[in-house]
Amino acid sequence: MSTAATCSHCWLPIGRLGQAREVNGETLRFCCYGCCLAYQVHHGEKEEPEAAYLLIRLGVGGFLAMNIMLFSLLLYSGTLGEADEWLAGPIHWLLWILATPLLVILGGPFMGGAWRAAQQGRVTTDTLVSIGALAAYGYSACQVVLGSGVVYFDTATMILILFTLGRYLEAQGRVRAARSLAPMLAAERAEVRTVIDGKDTTQAVSALQPGAVVRILPGERIPVDGIVLEGRSHCDEAILTGQIEGQPKSPGARILAGSINGTGALLIRVTSAGTNTYWVRISRLVREALARKSLTGDMVDRAAAVFIPLVLLLAAGSLWFWSARIPFDQALLTALAVLVVACPCSLGLAAPLAITLGIGQAAQRGILIRGGGVLEKLARVRAIAFDKTGTLTEGKPELVTIIADDATENEVLQRAVALALASEHPLARTIAHERARWRSAIPVASEVQAHPGLGITGNIDGEYCVMGSRAFMASLGWTIGQELMKAGTEGNTLVYVGWRGRAHGLIALSDPTLPEATAVIAALRARGLDTLLLSGDRERVVARVAGALNIAHWQSELVPEAKVQALQEWTKRRGPIVMVGDGLNDGPVLSVASVGIAVGGATDLARESSDVTLPAGALKSLPWLLELAARVRRSILANLAWALGYNTIALSLAVAGMLQPVIAAGLMAGSSLLVVVRSLRAHHGSNAGGIRRESGADAVYPSGI
Amino acid sequence: MTQYVLIFLAGAAGSFHCVGMCGGFACALGGDPRGPAVTLFRHLAYNLGRVMSYCFLGAVVGYLGVLLVGHGEEGAPASLAQRTLAVVSGLLMVLIGLQFFGFFRRLGPGLAGIGGELLVPALRDLLKTSGIAAPLAFGVLNGFLPCPLVYAFAAQAAGSGDPASGFLIMAAFGLGTFPAMLMMGGIGIWWRHGFRRPAVQTIPIHAQTARGAVLRSGWREQGMRVAGGFIVLLGLITLARGVLPMTSHVHGL
Repeated sequence: MSTAATCSHCWLPIGRLGQAREVNGETLRFCCYGCCLAYQVHHGEKEEPEAAYLLIRLGVGGFLAMNIMLFSLLLYSGTLGEADEWLAGPIHWLLWILATPLLVILGGPFMGGAWRAAQQGRVTTDTLVSIGALAAYGYSACQVVLGSGVVYFDTATMILILFTLGRYLEAQGRVRAARSLAPMLAAERAEVRTVIDGKDTTQAVSALQPGAVVRILPGERIPVDGIVLEGRSHCDEAILTGQIEGQPKSPGARILAGSINGTGALLIRVTSAGTNTYWVRISRLVREALARKSLTGDMVDRAAAVFIPLVLLLAAGSLWFWSARIPFDQALLTALAVLVVACPCSLGLAAPLAITLGIGQAAQRGILIRGGGVLEKLARVRAIAFDKTGTLTEGKPELVTIIADDATENEVLQRAVALALASEHPLARTIAHERARWRSAIPVASEVQAHPGLGITGNIDGEYCVMGSRAFMASLGWTIGQELMKAGTEGNTLVYVGWRGRAHGLIALSDPTLPEATAVIAALRARGLDTLLLSGDRERVVARVAGALNIAHWQSELVPEAKVQALQEWTKRRGPIVMVGDGLNDGPVLSVASVGIAVGGATDLARESSDVTLPAGALKSLPWLLELAARVRRSILANLAWALGYNTIALSLAVAGMLQPVIAAGLMAGSSLLVVVRSLRAHHGSNAGGIRRESGADAVYPSGI
Repeated sequence: MTQYVLIFLAGAAGSFHCVGMCGGFACALGGDPRGPAVTLFRHLAYNLGRVMSYCFLGAVVGYLGVLLVGHGEEGAPASLAQRTLAVVSGLLMVLIGLQFFGFFRRLGPGLAGIGGELLVPALRDLLKTSGIAAPLAFGVLNGFLPCPLVYAFAAQAAGSGDPASGFLIMAAFGLGTFPAMLMMGGIGIWWRHGFRRPAVQTIPIHAQTARGAVLRSGWREQGMRVAGGFIVLLGLITLARGVLPMTSHVHGL
C-alpha cells in the first residue's frame, strides 16, 4: 500500500472515490468528504476559548431543547390518546425540569446583556429575548404548579436557541478576524541578533534601544530602523515604498524595519526603539483602525432599535388594556403572544445567515472575507481605488525594447547581459534573463564595480563598459545621442549602455499590467463605480498605466500617509470607497478605506489590515465579489422587509387578542424558517448562475433533503 | 417491528462507515485522567448527544411529512400525497444506498457542503475543550454533520409520515451505531495507554494509527456495502408502500 494512495485522515486506500483538497496550504487527499471534514476539525488552529464556551452552551442547550421539542411535539401532535391523558401532567413537570437549566445556560448571556443595557438606559434585542423567554418560562412554571392549562416551555426554548445560533454565527466572524491579526502582533515580538562586545546574542526587538548594534543575515526580514555600519546589500523595500527595484545599502545608508535584506550580511546601528519603528507604527495604525471597525452588520441593529421599544410598549399596552376586560391570566397570555410573535428571531437570523452564506461562497473561490459588515459595506461603495505595483501590474519588470545608436542591438544586449550577470539588482536580473536568447557565448565582465543607485561598470574584452541611468552617464561626462534621447519610451524605466565614451544603446524595462486588469476595470466602471489609481511610483509611469487601463483618476508619488490622505479626501467627496492593494505601504490605506481588499501575494501586513483577501491571480473575481455583496445585501433587505411585514401583521393579531402564544410561537418559528429557506434559496440560485466549482472539492453526498 | 430491527442492523453495519469520521472523534475524545468511570461517562455523553440529534431530526422530518401529506387514517388506503412521499423518500434511500457501492458519486454537495462549512470550525473548538459538558455538546453537533447514512434514514423518517415513527426510525439507527462508536472510543484509549509513550501527545495521530492498525480496509468496505444493501432494501420497502396498490401486506413494515 503506497502512501500516495491513502487518505490523509483515515489512512485507508482512497480508491476511485477520492478527492483532493487544500488544507492549510498543503494538498491532501481524502477517501470521502467526511474524512476531509474530520481532518479539518483535528488539524485546525486553536480558536479563542470564548467561541468554544459559547459552543458548549449551544450544544448542551441544543440537547435540552431537542428533548423539550420532542416532548412538546408529543403533546401537540395528539399522539397521546384518551387513555394516556394522565401523562400530560408528568410531561409538564419534565419539561419544566429540562427548561430550567436551558434558561440558565442559553438565557444567561441574554439576560446579562439586557441587564447591562438597562443600566445604561437602553433596550436591545437582548431585552426582548430575555423578557419573552422569562415570561414564557415564568407563566408556564405557574401553570405547572397550578396543574392546569398549557405550557410554553417550547416557546422559551425556541426563542433562546434561535437567537444563540445567530450569536454563534456572529462570533465565528469575530474569532476569525482576531486570529488573522496574530501574525501582525508578532512584529513587536520578533527576535534579533544583537552584537554586544563583539559577541552575538539574541534579543527581543521590543527590548532594543537606539544605539544597539544588530546583525542581519542575507534574506532576513529586518526588524529595526537604523543606519548601516558594515556590509553591502540590496534591500527589498517594496512592501514599505512600493518600489520594485531593490535598494542598494552601503555603510551610512538608512534601513527601515519591514524591508527584506538581499544577499549581503549587514551590521546595523539601531536608531529608534524596537517598539517605535516605522513598521510597528504602521502595524499599530492598522490595529487601531481595525478596532474601530464594526465587524457585524449594523442594519439589523438599526431596525431593532426602533422595533424593540415599540414591541415592549405594545406588550405592556395590551396587558393593561386586556386586564381591565378579561381575567388577568388571559391578558397576560395576550401580552406574551405579543412579545413572542414580535420576537425578531428572523431579524437575528436573516443577516448572519445571508452573510455567512456569502462568505462561504466567496471562500469557495479562495476569497477570504473578514467579518459580516464587510459585505454590507461592499454593497454600498461608490468608488474603487487601486494600488499599482503588484495589484494591477505583475510587480516584476520586463524588457520592453532595445534601441541601439551607432551599434547593433546585439552588441548592446551582449554587453548589458555581461554586466548584468555580475549584479544582483532586480533590473540587472531581468536583463540577465535575456541570456537565454543568446546562442553564442557571453563574454565575461571583469573588474565589475557597482555604483549604488546609479549603475554598474566593468571591463568586457578589455573595453571599459558602463550600464546605468541617464544621471550616471551624465556624471561620467558621457554623451547620449539624439536618437536615444528622443526615443519614445514614455513611462518605462530606462537603462543606458555605453562604451568608448558615449552611450550606444538603451534598454527600456517596464512592469506590465496584468492581462485581466483592463476587463476588470471595464466591468467595475460598467457597475457605475468611479475608479482611482493611487501609487507611490513616478508620475509618468502611473499616467501610462492609468491611460492603458482606462482608469478615470490617478495620483502618483504618494507615500503611505499621503495615500491615506488622498483616500480620505475621496471618501469625503464620493462616499464609501474600496481600496485594492498589496504592499505594506498599502496597510494604512487599506485599513482606512471603507473596505480594504488585499490581492494575492500580498504581504502579511496588507492581509491583516484588509477586510477581504483575494488569492493570487484573482483580480478578475473583483466584479463577481461586488455582485455577491449586492446580492447578500438584497437578500438581507428583502428578509428584513419580509420579517417586519410578517411580524407586523402577526403583531396586530396578537394585540387584538386573537393569537394564542402557541400559535404565536408557531408563526414566529415559521417566520424564521422562511428566512432560512429564502436565504438558502438565494444562495442556491446564485450557485446555479455559473459559479465555478473545484471538481476535487465536490462532496460525494446527494443534496437529498 | 421488523422494520426497526432492519434499521438497527443497518446502523450497526453502517458503523463501518462511521469509524471513518465519527470514530476518529470518539478516539480523539479519549480518556479522562480522573478514571475509567469518568471516561465512560464522557463517551456515553458524546453518543447520547449524537443519537439525540438523530432522534430529533427524525421527529422533525416526520412531523414535516405529516404537515406535507396529512395524517393517514388507520387501515384506510394511503392518499396520493402520502404515496408520492413514500415513493420519493424510497427512491432517495435507494440512491444513497447505491452510493455505498460506488454509484452516483458525482451528485452535488448541496446541504452537505453548507453544514460542513458551518460546523467544522465549531467542532474543532469542542474537541480541545475538557470538561463533562463538552462531549455532550460535541455529540449534539456531530449529529448534524453531513452523513449519507443520516440522510438516508431521515428520508425514511420523512416518508413514515408520523413524528413518532420518524423518532423511532432514527433512534433505531442511532442505537445501531452506538456499540461500534463506544468501542472506537475504547480502542483509542487502549491504544494510547498500551502502545504510545505519553510524551507523544498528538491525539489525531493516535486515532489514525489505531484505526489503520485495527481495521483493515477490506472490512470497512465490506461493512459499508452491507450498510448500503440494508439501505437499498429499506428504500425498496418504503418505495413499495407508495407503489403497491394494497397497503395491508406491507403495513407491518
